[in-house]
Amino acid sequence: MDKESHIFSCYAKEAGFYDEIFDENDNVRAIYKSLFDRFKENSALDFDILDKRAKSSFLNQGITFQVYKEDQMKEQIFPFDLFPRIITAKEWEHIQAGVLQRNKALNLYLWDIYHDKNIINDGIVPISLVETSASYLKQMQGFNPPEGIYNHICGTDLIKHSDGEYYVLEDNIRCPSGVSYVIGNREALKRTLFGIFNGHSVRSVSNYSENLLEVLESVKPQGVDIPCCVVLTPGVYNSAYYEHSFLAKSMGVELVEGRDLFVENDFLYMKTIKGPQRIDVVYRRIDDDFIDPETFNKDSVLGVAGLMSVYLKGNLTLINAPGTGVADDKAIYTYMPQIIKYYLDEKPILKNVKTYHCSDANDLKYVIKNIANLVIKPVDESGGYGVLIGNKLTQEEIDAAIKNIKQDPRKYIAQPIMALSTHATYIEEEGGFSPRHVDLRTYTLLGKDKSYVLKGGLTRVALQKGNLIVNSSQGGGSKDTWVLKK
Amino acid sequence: MLSRVADNLFWMGRYLERSEHLSRYINVNYFSSLDAPNELSQSRQFVFQSMLALVSDYTRQSDKDIVESEVLYDLCLNKEKVYSIYNNVSNARKNASGVRDIISTELYESINSFYHRITNYSKENLVNYDLYSFTTEVINTTGVLREKIQGSLINNDVYAVIMLGVYIERAYQISNIITCKYVDAQVAKTSHGNAVDTSYEWSTLLKSVQSYDMMRSYYRKTPSELNTLEFLILNPDCPRSITNSLIEINKHIKTLNSCAEKNPESAEFYIGKTLSEYQYKTIDDIEKNIGEAVNNISDSLNIIQEKLNTEFFNY
Repeated sequence: MDKESHIFSCYAKEAGFYDEIFDENDNVRAIYKSLFDRFKENSALDFDILDKRAKSSFLNQGITFQVYKEDQMKEQIFPFDLFPRIITAKEWEHIQAGVLQRNKALNLYLWDIYHDKNIINDGIVPISLVETSASYLKQMQGFNPPEGIYNHICGTDLIKHSDGEYYVLEDNIRCPSGVSYVIGNREALKRTLFGIFNGHSVRSVSNYSENLLEVLESVKPQGVDIPCCVVLTPGVYNSAYYEHSFLAKSMGVELVEGRDLFVENDFLYMKTIKGPQRIDVVYRRIDDDFIDPETFNKDSVLGVAGLMSVYLKGNLTLINAPGTGVADDKAIYTYMPQIIKYYLDEKPILKNVKTYHCSDANDLKYVIKNIANLVIKPVDESGGYGVLIGNKLTQEEIDAAIKNIKQDPRKYIAQPIMALSTHATYIEEEGGFSPRHVDLRTYTLLGKDKSYVLKGGLTRVALQKGNLIVNSSQGGGSKDTWVLKK
Repeated sequence: MLSRVADNLFWMGRYLERSEHLSRYINVNYFSSLDAPNELSQSRQFVFQSMLALVSDYTRQSDKDIVESEVLYDLCLNKEKVYSIYNNVSNARKNASGVRDIISTELYESINSFYHRITNYSKENLVNYDLYSFTTEVINTTGVLREKIQGSLINNDVYAVIMLGVYIERAYQISNIITCKYVDAQVAKTSHGNAVDTSYEWSTLLKSVQSYDMMRSYYRKTPSELNTLEFLILNPDCPRSITNSLIEINKHIKTLNSCAEKNPESAEFYIGKTLSEYQYKTIDDIEKNIGEAVNNISDSLNIIQEKLNTEFFNY
């Protein structure tokens, strides 16, 4: 490849997908005009240098995650693409209103199913979906979390379909991660290519931690004046450790591990050099299963024995509340339009992808017949694991998938193969920009009398050509995401 | 501050300081031996045994053949050797990672990029021609890191705990290096008879702890056993002496202990007592039994470490 050639010369749009840079007539879309002009001045050689600079900035800052490869831990940089994704003010207004609506409805849904279960009694959501969910916690039944909030922090995954509309792919309300990369990406782009911000009025993403701390403090347990908040991490070997330390540092609160904590007389304490100190609010980055070996997984060394009993006595706030997984399960997702209607009496602002439940006999029939045109997802897996894309499967793989689905239909849902939009991404081996599929994760916070959506988000990129799975554990990268002021 | 965090900060300080001393010891001993005045001190075997004795419980055996390229690799980059500079830097970084929300971004980034440089160092280059630049880089970087500690952290308990680690490690290293070079001098005497001039070993000892120039300007005399030991153990103004390290340890423990009440069992009390002992010791006291005097230093440091463990790092 001639390194001096035009870095957009090999850009081949994929048919059937919405390309964010070029319109259907191959003209550059208006909002990308000035960025495009700016980028095309660079040769591939310039870009290689910029790319390396951005990479070493991430490595030296320790913004890395660890993956198991060939039986050993490897430290990796989350691949970062220098071409930012732009969201117009109008589009953003729509997205922001939509994710807020969903998360408010999800919160009301959680309250309901852990209390009177009206939505089930009224026949909107089948009881089987709740009772058979592995994430349903009977301990939470009848319990009132501080200020009635369950999903304080939500990550909503959206895509832009071939019709140019945003669709929600999933709601993440357990321990959604990635927000530190939103801020890290902005930082890296500023350091590497500060000039490109000229002429765009981009909304800031740097106030996330302030808002997060406000939310944590707003849901303090009753009777506490100034709450002591902490971030609970599984430790330095966790793949998201950078994020945990970033959040603690930027909020100015202590970053604790399970071994730093203990429970005494129904209160939670951390061990400091000056003796025990009481903790009121825990933003835990450990899944329900591992937070308390007395209540959940007995072998967990990450959590704290007795934590749940402190919580259930009302002496502690957990962020997010335990048991939220019952509502972000991929099977509940399909009922979102009904859930929004039921609690808020509103029409859903953001579209849902049509979903087939394999637990439903008619749907199951449809799925088996049309498997080649569907995406099959296990309901209780995350990180893109176990996802099968029908048109990429061999006949043997299809047979195996059908066998698995028939064995445990509740475990699977199917959706039409969504056409994730493509965005210009620098591909070193090709010496230029190529279209790659992207999605968008937004971050929403809910507190007492307060809600907030981070004005930006994580645009994740599937770096392999044609690949539709964007998760970092599956070799995905990311882009800085600009929300314009006007 | 969390006890675990205190433990991480303390050991970050200790490992950084240890990397520096080990690098300098390798550097000074290897390069000065190239043209050492007597045959024994010139012998590579003798020098490598001294290096191994510093970092491990290695027992000197005259008949054992040490391969230069292996021992240099082991000491500098071998991931399998707990004592290697690589492992010291890697441990410093592991501890820094555990507290990266507490220390300054600049300090963390510097330790992190230091680690990446060491990790990518080539073994072939090191053992063939890069020993000098490798050890010098470690010495220089640890110096820069100490500056970052001093220049980018509030002088509160976080700073005090790191500095406690730095100075306790420094005291340990000086005492261990004294022991090693003392043994070297004994071996030289045994093999060449009492007439041999051991000033070479004392000069090397001073250089190994960066104190040669200071000592020369202070005494204006050729280093001998007694003036060297007096300078390195008792001189309160030499930043590389035991007494000076104890003065610093005493200063930093006071930041952590705000309690006015005296507790004879506390680390603070014991540190104060030990410092007074060295402030009122003379070289005559040490001369009576040098071996024992040097051992006493490590014994006191062990007690200080134990007391710090129970009082602050218990989690």
